Amino acid sequence: MTSGSVTGPGTGEDEPRLVVRLEDVRKEYGDHHALNGVSLEIRSGEAVAVMGPSGCGKSTLLNMVAGLDRPTSGRVTVHGEDLTGLNETGLALFRRRRIGMVFQFFNLLDDLSALDNVALAAQLTGTPARQARRRAQELLDELGIADRRNAFPAVLSGGERQRVAVARALMNRPALLLADEPTGALDSHSGEQVMDLLLDLNQIGQTLLLVTHDPRLATRCANRVVDLADGRVVGERSLERAG
Amino acid sequence: MRAVWQAARAAVRRRRLQTSVIALVVLVSTMTIVVALGLLDAASAPFDRAFARQQGAQLTATFDTARVDAAQLAATAHAAGVVASAGPFAQAVATLDRPVTINDAGPVTVVGRADPGGPVDRVNLWAGHWATGPGEVVFSSPPGIGGEGRRSALGAQITLSGVRFTVVGLASSVSRTADAWVAPDQMAALHPSSAQMLYRFAHAADDRETAGDLAAVTGSLPPGALTASQSYLSLEQRAEHTPSAFVPFLMVFGVLGLLVAALIVGNVVSGAVVSGFRHIGVLKALGFTPNQVVAVYLVMVSVPALVGCVLGTVLGDLAEQPLLRQIFNGVDGTELGDSVGLSPWVDLVALLGVPALVLLAALLPSLRARALPAARAISAGSAQRTGRALRIQRRLTGSPLPRSVSLGLGLPFARPGRSLLTLAAVVLGVTTVTFSTGLASTVTAFGTAAEGGGAYQVVVNAGRADVGMTPPTHTAAQIGPLLSGLPGARQVTPSAYVPVRLPGVAQGMNLLAYQGLSSDLGTLVVDGRWFDGPGEIVVSPGFLTLHAAAVGDRLTLATAGRTEQVTIVGETLTGDPDYVSTDWSTATALDPAVTPRQFLVKLAPGTDAAAYQRAVRAADPGLHPSGKDTVNAGAMTAVGSASVLSLLLGTVAALGVFNTVVLNARERRRDLGMLKSIGMTPRQVTAMMVTSMAALGLAGGAVGVPLGMLAHRLILPVTGQAGGIDFPASMREVWHPGNLALLALSGVALAALGALIPSRSAARVTIAKVLHNE
Ligand SMILES: Nc1ncnc2c1ncn2[C@@H]1O[C@H](COP(=O)(O)OP(=O)(O)OP(=O)(O)O)[C@@H](O)[C@H]1O
Ligand SMILES: [Mg+2]
Repeated sequence: MTSGSVTGPGTGEDEPRLVVRLEDVRKEYGDHHALNGVSLEIRSGEAVAVMGPSGCGKSTLLNMVAGLDRPTSGRVTVHGEDLTGLNETGLALFRRRRIGMVFQFFNLLDDLSALDNVALAAQLTGTPARQARRRAQELLDELGIADRRNAFPAVLSGGERQRVAVARALMNRPALLLADEPTGALDSHSGEQVMDLLLDLNQIGQTLLLVTHDPRLATRCANRVVDLADGRVVGERSLERAG
Repeated sequence: MRAVWQAARAAVRRRRLQTSVIALVVLVSTMTIVVALGLLDAASAPFDRAFARQQGAQLTATFDTARVDAAQLAATAHAAGVVASAGPFAQAVATLDRPVTINDAGPVTVVGRADPGGPVDRVNLWAGHWATGPGEVVFSSPPGIGGEGRRSALGAQITLSGVRFTVVGLASSVSRTADAWVAPDQMAALHPSSAQMLYRFAHAADDRETAGDLAAVTGSLPPGALTASQSYLSLEQRAEHTPSAFVPFLMVFGVLGLLVAALIVGNVVSGAVVSGFRHIGVLKALGFTPNQVVAVYLVMVSVPALVGCVLGTVLGDLAEQPLLRQIFNGVDGTELGDSVGLSPWVDLVALLGVPALVLLAALLPSLRARALPAARAISAGSAQRTGRALRIQRRLTGSPLPRSVSLGLGLPFARPGRSLLTLAAVVLGVTTVTFSTGLASTVTAFGTAAEGGGAYQVVVNAGRADVGMTPPTHTAAQIGPLLSGLPGARQVTPSAYVPVRLPGVAQGMNLLAYQGLSSDLGTLVVDGRWFDGPGEIVVSPGFLTLHAAAVGDRLTLATAGRTEQVTIVGETLTGDPDYVSTDWSTATALDPAVTPRQFLVKLAPGTDAAAYQRAVRAADPGLHPSGKDTVNAGAMTAVGSASVLSLLLGTVAALGVFNTVVLNARERRRDLGMLKSIGMTPRQVTAMMVTSMAALGLAGGAVGVPLGMLAHRLILPVTGQAGGIDFPASMREVWHPGNLALLALSGVALAALGALIPSRSAARVTIAKVLHNE
């Protein structure tokens, strides 16, 4: 697939900017430690994969970065904004402008068409419906599912749904694209397609943070892997990507 | 079966909010049902009920003790057909020196009775205690709103035929067997010359049967022993003509209450089952049989529903008693307050009917769930979109509305059944509010008019020497100028009562005659006009009904020795059927000796009515001034009860909305989480959920307001007939664009209020959890 206008910010700078910074982040659920002092930095244009066994805190980490959940202690800074200082509304506005999210189970609205699901993200920021649909149409075009734009999620395949979800995540040109097991619910063929899509996006400058326990996804899309175990970073490696 | 119980318990525990909502809705609905049924029950035949409760005397007979002795009277208890009797009680007509509560000074019937109970005429002693010792007397007085004020009569020192008594109690008898009661051994001082017997019979359904009964009990007595008798049928007939105008209104509330409560219980319970479809799928996958699944769901909703039902019945009983007592006393100002009592059948209907309704409402969707293949049930939460819902959502997407608003507007179409039930509840809620607002306007206008609209402020009665009151030192002719001369008086209208008869009518009546200007005393004439000269009378609607007369008819009035032709020239809004108003010359033609006895005083604006009354007393101790009510107690009670009932109904309707939002939010938790993850603010989520219900509220207002207006229009004439009130157009046309617009918005307010709390908690849903877990 080709990708022209699907560009995130941060391209073409001499010194890659810091997009994400976690400082000694801890998260406790009762007396269970989901995150046990995680520090991590992600620079603009990077594609970072977080890996580790089930229950090690990967999703929790991603939620911290997305502002979907608050750390028990530590600090989360994304695109220069300290998330710990934001209230619920501030976090919502932050997600709108800076973050795109893709989930394992797509999370599309069942009663909106593919096109309207994608347009929704822009409409929330106050973009008029017509303009939002035009941009959604462009994105669906670029992701190769323009012909399915009027279909409802219930009749789309898993791969198609995930591509709609990616389009929605890109709608507001986010500084950071977050993906939690984006291929986890897909068969291998659809999984491949989504991997290609993510890779393409990163290659045109989109900063990526993926959570996965699929080594193929990591090696294919990421240029850095962070290994997590029991809520701690236990290793980091840089990768020469296959693509 | 253990598995079913465990699964149900787990389901109840996991859905605390929904379980509490079910319990709460059933509780408030049951309360409403109990109050509504109690209302319908008490309103259906107030006299009969009060009569039955008091074991009223079907026949009250007065005997001359010179001709018959106590033993002979006691023996009448064994006459054919008598099933219960009380007496003989010594009876005397005594002269009361000054007014006590509703008893005017003058002749009163006093009966000697040892206690208020007994087999017949169980008098309702509602204040103080029974007269047992020397100098103690209990007066007849209806309880209720005005009654509370009448409590001040307790402790009053009065004389009866010159003997000093203290008022120790107030009681009411539906059978109206006496004006006052004293202990039997105190009667001697009052020189009784007659005795009273009270009877109940096996057959006393009509005048012929009561006549036969009377003959049976008097048959063995010497002729002339019976001096008077009163059948309960005549009391019943009169009771029907007393203005119980508000009863039909209250019945409408009763019916509305039943409908709203039933609708919302149905909606809440079926909603709980529908929202559990996914869970049903899981249970089936675990190996629960279809019947076990149904059982789990029935148990899940029945437990909180039963708790709510029992609590609601108890609370309803507690609330019903004082509420209805107020309504009936305040409305009638008569002994009919006694018609209010706990009706076991009301509780029975509530305790059996509500659970039956709950089971039915739960069973229908449960059976659907039973038939649902497990796989479809599991996906049911997400894949039940109808084509129309999708088309509407698409149209809304393109609208220029903010996205959170247009998404909210589309929500009701995703669950059309639930939305319709919610809408129906809102419609009925708005209908109730509209109806009660109209009722309040009409009744307030009526109450103000019934009290003369405050046209005069003070009533001055001249004491009558012939009944033992202090007489005025001034002559009747001097009193008018005296009152006019006191500071603040602007106009004094002397008046008098003349007892008259209509030839051929047993019941006597009174001519109320005014001297001088009387057309400006605030009496509202709804048909014809106020009298304008000799031979013209103005009557109440009750009079017209009682005598089958019409405005324009000519009548003959008679006093001892004189008759006078009069013409009915006007009909008042309301009033006692036994009083007709006329001018002074008509009265003197019938009774040349008539002198003014009551003076209606208009005060200059800003005058202190109490100060004026003090001045009157100081000027002549034989003048007894009192303030004129400007607010009608009955009207106030009706408005008050209407407000309580519409509040109750509004609460139930709002709870219905509350529940719908809880269910919608529950089913859409994942959607809400997703919307938040792409940047919907908590405020936008709240706006979306509130909008979804406000749309229903607006529709509810559009339908409910006309329905409420229609109910008001249809019920008003019925009320008029029942209460002997002819509402003029000014009281019927209470609607104008301003209040209609407000009422239409009441639907939105109702819906938005019900939606606000669950919407806000939906807005606070933790996204991370829902997005990853489902
Ligand atoms: N809302 C919560 N309440 C309590 N405990 C939680 C909550 N969310 C996560 N946890 C716990 O925190 C730990 C980390 O959870 P997390 O979802 O981050 O794991 P994960 O690495 O994403 O696992 P998986 O690969 O299975 O998705 C787990 O032990 C989990 O049980
Ligand atoms: Mg995870």
